[in-house]
Amino acid sequence: MPLRGLLLSSARPDERVQWGSGGPYLTVGKREIEPGELTRLMGPVLTAVAEHVAALFATYVGALEAQQRGDSPGAVAALVEAGRLEERVGRLTQAPAWYEVALALAETLQDRRPEVETLLAFGRACLALGQYALGARHYQRALVLSEAEFDQSAAIDASMGLGDAALECGYWSGAQAWYERTLRLTEAGDDRLRLGRIEHRLGLLARRRGDLAAAGERLRHARECLEPLSAGAGHEMARVLDAQGELEGALGRPGPAAAAFREALAWVRHDEPDPGAAGEGLDVTIRLHLAELLLDTGRLLEAEEEMRRAEQLAITSHQTRALVRIYTLLGGLRGRQGDETGFVFFEQAIALCRALEGPPVDEARAYHAYGLFRQTSGGPDEARAYLERAREIFRSLGVDAEVERVEAELQALSA
Amino acid sequence: MTRPTHEPPAAPVRPATDAVRVLAVGGEAGPGPLQSLRQWAAELEVELEWAADLPRATRLLAGGHWDLVLAVLGDRSDEELTWWTDALRGAPGGPRLIALADRPSMGLALRAEKLGVLDVLALPLKREALANALARVRSAVTEVAVPLPPVEVDAEGHYALVGQSPAMLDVYKLMARVAHSSATVLVQGESGTGKEVVARTIHEHGPAAKGAFVAVNCAAIPENLLESELFGHEKGAFTGAVARKIGRFEQAAGGTLFLDEIADMSLALQAKILRAVQEREIERVGGGESIPVTVRLIAATNRDLQTEIAQGRFREDLYYRLAVVTIQLPRLVDRGDDLLLLIAHFARQFAQRYGKRIEALSDRALELLRHHQWVGNVRELRNVIERATIVATDGTLRTEHLPDELRAEEPGVPERTAGGLPTLAEAEARHIARVLAHTGGQIGAAADVLGIHRNTLTRKMKEYGL
Repeated sequence: MPLRGLLLSSARPDERVQWGSGGPYLTVGKREIEPGELTRLMGPVLTAVAEHVAALFATYVGALEAQQRGDSPGAVAALVEAGRLEERVGRLTQAPAWYEVALALAETLQDRRPEVETLLAFGRACLALGQYALGARHYQRALVLSEAEFDQSAAIDASMGLGDAALECGYWSGAQAWYERTLRLTEAGDDRLRLGRIEHRLGLLARRRGDLAAAGERLRHARECLEPLSAGAGHEMARVLDAQGELEGALGRPGPAAAAFREALAWVRHDEPDPGAAGEGLDVTIRLHLAELLLDTGRLLEAEEEMRRAEQLAITSHQTRALVRIYTLLGGLRGRQGDETGFVFFEQAIALCRALEGPPVDEARAYHAYGLFRQTSGGPDEARAYLERAREIFRSLGVDAEVERVEAELQALSA
Repeated sequence: MTRPTHEPPAAPVRPATDAVRVLAVGGEAGPGPLQSLRQWAAELEVELEWAADLPRATRLLAGGHWDLVLAVLGDRSDEELTWWTDALRGAPGGPRLIALADRPSMGLALRAEKLGVLDVLALPLKREALANALARVRSAVTEVAVPLPPVEVDAEGHYALVGQSPAMLDVYKLMARVAHSSATVLVQGESGTGKEVVARTIHEHGPAAKGAFVAVNCAAIPENLLESELFGHEKGAFTGAVARKIGRFEQAAGGTLFLDEIADMSLALQAKILRAVQEREIERVGGGESIPVTVRLIAATNRDLQTEIAQGRFREDLYYRLAVVTIQLPRLVDRGDDLLLLIAHFARQFAQRYGKRIEALSDRALELLRHHQWVGNVRELRNVIERATIVATDGTLRTEHLPDELRAEEPGVPERTAGGLPTLAEAEARHIARVLAHTGGQIGAAADVLGIHRNTLTRKMKEYGL
């Protein structure tokens, strides 16, 4: 993963071809590698790889030592830490292997807190991978155990995770119930960061349900909770403002929407001094939302510029999985322009999904957008094939709302 | 400073005063790197506002009309510079950026120049340095509107041919001669000179006009997809061949197939194209059946095909098949007053698209556009005018509507030296930066151009912070 990231980040677009007729279709697959640059950057990356492997081994040895001295909770904690280390360097698919071992060990203990901690970490990893049903099962178990243990903090995290899983799957009433429960639990304390987070989620949910007034109110509460927090809340503020931007866009107010997205970017920058860990691609996500806003308002040139900036950011900051979303969107932009050659972006997005083992939900979205693109440019057979593939992936993830949507599109295609 | 609210920003309004509106970001309003600024504000006729951090600065920028942003850069100055130039893009009033840094390096100054930053000043800020920068901001206000000339075009919309220069008149004559035949045509010219527009025009005035015009961009499509895109494929021919696909050759039957950037094609695919041209039949990928196709072929390239042939990258037999008639398109910088006609044409086209009325261009903007090198030719110009039209707030396109990179080329901008002539090191750093830009950042190619070993170049880049 880091070496692949190195290859991508050291590749540069050839500025001489920027204005060529192939320039608008340049993707990461068409960049050139400068051997000198690669050699220069290789050392630090290999060091980082070695450090990561060493840290993993250290935690593993720590787990074994804890086990030998009869400290099973310590062993579980070490194994969970190893999973977190994997997540921190973007090896999302490797983390569950550590959590599984940790969970098997934790289940044998009388003290349930290590199991709760493992389940929460496992649940979060599953959601990041798009495995919503599995994630929800882990959170559900964590909730039951934490309530039995009177662990309020873990119960809040578990019910929030259950809300997140329901939100991603489009189970609006389920998400609403879990989030409201989380809110009640949180209001008992004075944790403004958590309150802000839950108000943000309720805002997101209200917007997706079409209740824009309620969404605005929730996001306002979220800002009120988060803004006074001097440190560490920048990313949360950015998420809230990102949601605010999307809400303003849905209300047909592109000016305030763009301003909210711009401020969200400033909060990411404000809070994150480390360029290598820029909030799980939050900056790229915000830029893509801004690009979608520009696309929706017909400002195609600016939309493309924003997408290209997101692409550059994703490449240079090793957020290579974000490229799947970026190329999917660029393909959609070309579709809007009636440009048949835009199919190259979908092909690149799908190739990256396979190479990077990213969340399957991104692959499903890429196939879905490709199918819609082919409806107008290509042919119904190809469109149907891609939509069916998207439906298959969404179904395997349990995202019923998306399955229904794609089925409706398939029916319309057959009609 | 009043605490900004999260209410949607009010519509930006330029204040009636002539004072330059300056937003200072970072540092401190009290003791800090910008402490003298408040004292100088009145005598320098500056309306000054402070923002302690980026989020607050972003809110203020969205809510008002600013002329200048003074941003204090931190430890990661390069990255912050890029962030700022991006954040200011599209901000109301098109504010310029002055970056303030402790001991700014030569590399930072050169990168700032490339990004169109007005200036990089050292901290602590000196009054004279700020006054000079403000004078440059003020001088930009005095721009005179030049009415755009009327333009006659022979076609509507995206594919109009615009221009009356002698170089273009020669092109028109040759196009008129070949259009009525069905001869294969090779269009040559730099990127963005309008090769596809010429191909479409030939098609529309030729015997195949009733048929389809199908364009294939060989540089855009990855090699592994290009063959099936051109010739089509049968279902199941390869992984991902989810359905039978009709290729572009078949789609263009009875019309014109335009193969753009044909020199980007592999030799293997060139052989298949040659066969299709000679035999007038194709085979779909994974299919055994020969399918007859009758198409007029127009090919285009921005490369010198004779050189490509000499280097074994292009088939000579295909070249002679394609170059029955060759049309060479001129560079934009060789088209003289066509530049103004093209500006007028694009300005009206985009004004219509974006619901605006653009009637003039400022003298300073025109001067900048005239002096630009236009590496991307008409395509680059079109892009610049579209962007300017989007951000223009009245009927005149001004320098503030042009991209920062272009504004950085404004004549009379002094080179960033302590005073007088640059030192040898400064001149060398600047030249290396230019060569690197020319080679697209390729160190080996830049070393070749500079005539030095790549290790020497790498050392100098490190020394100058490039």
